[in-house]
Amino acid sequence: MSVTSSDSPAASELAVSPPRRRRKLQAWEWAPYLFISPFFILFLVFGLFPLLFSMWLAFQTWDPSTGLQGMEWVGIENFKFVLEDDWFQKSLYNTFWIAIVSGLPQHLVAIPLAYFAHTYLRKHRNTVVGVYFLPFITSTVAIALVWNSLFSRDYGVINMALTSIGNLSIAGMHPLAWLFPTSNVDWAQPQYTKWMISSLVFWRYVGWNTVLYLSALQTIPRDLYEAATIDGATSRQQFWHITVPLLRPMMFFAVTLTIIGNLQLFEEPFIITGGTGGINQAGKTAAMHMYNTAFVDSDFGTASAVAWILFLIIGLMTWANNKFFAQKD
Amino acid sequence: MATLHLRNIEKTYESGPQVIKGINLDVADGEFMVFVGPSGCGKSTLLRMIAGLEDITGGDLLIDGKRANDVQPSERGIAMVFQSYALYPHMSVGENMGFALKLAGKPKAEVDVAVGRAAEILQITHLLDRKPKALSGGQRQRVAIGRAIVRKPKVFLFDEPLSNLDAALRVQMRIELSKLHEELGTTMIYVTHDQVEAMTLGTRIAVFNHGVIEQVGRPLDLYQEPANQFVGGFLGSPKMNFIQCAVTERRADSIALKVGCASGFELPRSVAADAGSALTLGVRPEHLELTRAGDGIAARVDLLEHLGDSTIVYAAIDGADQIVTIKTQGGRTALRAGEAIGLRPQAGACHLFRPDGRAIAAQA
Ligand SMILES: Nc1ncnc2c1ncn2[C@@H]1O[C@H](COP(=O)(O)OP(=O)(O)O)[C@@H](O)[C@H]1O
Ligand SMILES: [Mg+2]
Repeated sequence: MSVTSSDSPAASELAVSPPRRRRKLQAWEWAPYLFISPFFILFLVFGLFPLLFSMWLAFQTWDPSTGLQGMEWVGIENFKFVLEDDWFQKSLYNTFWIAIVSGLPQHLVAIPLAYFAHTYLRKHRNTVVGVYFLPFITSTVAIALVWNSLFSRDYGVINMALTSIGNLSIAGMHPLAWLFPTSNVDWAQPQYTKWMISSLVFWRYVGWNTVLYLSALQTIPRDLYEAATIDGATSRQQFWHITVPLLRPMMFFAVTLTIIGNLQLFEEPFIITGGTGGINQAGKTAAMHMYNTAFVDSDFGTASAVAWILFLIIGLMTWANNKFFAQKD
Repeated sequence: MATLHLRNIEKTYESGPQVIKGINLDVADGEFMVFVGPSGCGKSTLLRMIAGLEDITGGDLLIDGKRANDVQPSERGIAMVFQSYALYPHMSVGENMGFALKLAGKPKAEVDVAVGRAAEILQITHLLDRKPKALSGGQRQRVAIGRAIVRKPKVFLFDEPLSNLDAALRVQMRIELSKLHEELGTTMIYVTHDQVEAMTLGTRIAVFNHGVIEQVGRPLDLYQEPANQFVGGFLGSPKMNFIQCAVTERRADSIALKVGCASGFELPRSVAADAGSALTLGVRPEHLELTRAGDGIAARVDLLEHLGDSTIVYAAIDGADQIVTIKTQGGRTALRAGEAIGLRPQAGACHLFRPDGRAIAAQA
């Protein structure tokens, strides 16, 4: 037996007079640290280090091709530059525009959709919700390619559908021509780019939000609806007086995820605009701007500053969201 | 104030067997009617059909003489108290209680008065601003009852309202419910699986089993004159003993039975059963007397339970592979496990059941 029990006389003596010589570490003493170390090593290398390094970089000017010696301290110059930069401002505007236009409908559609699936679909609920969820797990590249062909000027289904409505002829008249296009639309024009991206983002994440809301709905006891029925609430009143208030915590969670995700939007606009941001930068988001600054312009200092400014904005929006949804009791 | 008539009420769920199999029942105005039965027998289903939360698949429900099968739940003049209380968690106690009136478009002042009055009856005025999660189980229960009172219903429906409370609180709320019924005088229907609640609360009890009513009547009538073996066994604690016996001789005004090894046990009543036929003798534990060994039905003590004011004796009958329960008054007995004893059923308190479970009525 190598384990000494603490109530043996030898052990109590040891406790009184500290041992002079350093004890040799036994396997069971260091092994746990060894087993837990992969996480910490990976976290330090790929998590904490880049975080601190980017914070450091935000105050430098650095082109990585010049090596570490090329780094030069510039103080808050990067931040000043970024905040005054037209392109950054425009990308930020684009980001918020897309975040709101794609994000708000996600929730406005997902909540009633989840309510509908929860209340009226019995056997096929999982199938229906699964279909809505599918875009979420499909590769962004594939989706963006499909979107591009849907919105293609000469061969796209969207143009085909719209123009055939626009050219609908009843007794030689075109009654819908004032509302729908009569010839193919070039969706690559800057006034359409953000709509295109937003529609894709909306379509992609509405299923995810539906799943979130559906799971929250399933935790609302059926008794409450029954009690409300007896109290005389119509199904619309039940939705407003029971469902919506009890969904509040999940709304907070889902909207937080949307805010964080949409303000960091990168893949969808990147692929749809072929990495350029589109004509006139119309579809360039803040995350794309950061990427371009770093990897196209090789200006890592400025890119880091963009990253940190974006982080602060996201933090601020999340905080505001928290204030908005906070329980009042 | 309302009467309630159930005519051949049936319920078959889409995916399942028939749960309620033709119920006929009349509930008088102001009556406290208790539905009691083992769990799964369809009590809640019937109550929810009365409330309008489940469709009635057959028969007619009449509230105050008017057919109510297709009337909206909120227009039936009923209020329901759920087992889970079903309080709206995001509303204060006051809002919970006033919700129905608010939906009905009543002015706020009127709602407040109604809520205030109900809160006074239940002594929860000081809780009106709290949220349900800040209440104890008993307080939530009161709020749930208060929400029902505010609506001034013609019929109160309770679905096992006390089963989430601890034993002491249950007794207290039971008493308060009785008082509430006296005070309001409203028709109440109360579902429970607990026979003590049924006995203590009900003006009348309906005993349910597998979707049918086995017997309806006043509590003591059911206790003393169960119509069948199921009702006899369901009401009363400890349970009624059922002992197989055989008729040995039938006389004009009495009958002789063979119970276990002991023959010659006489019941002083005339019974329409031929000699040799097998019957079940039902005796409540408090109606079995302990006697010396050699007297009455021979048995052996198996186990003793001391309850303080009384002792429950479990004894095995010689010659019949069966344990019977005897309740004796007094906390101390000289009995030991394994001891041979004799049992003597009080002849006047015995019940006889046919093999199909029906009671053989004592004929005067
Ligand atoms: N929605 C339902 N669908 C199918 N069967 C049900 C449903 N609700 C209850 N049942 C069945 O009906 C029977 C009676 O249920 P219930 O009325 O809740 O019993 P109790 O309240 O007496 O315990 C049970 O066997 C139960 O399984
Ligand atoms: Mg039940």
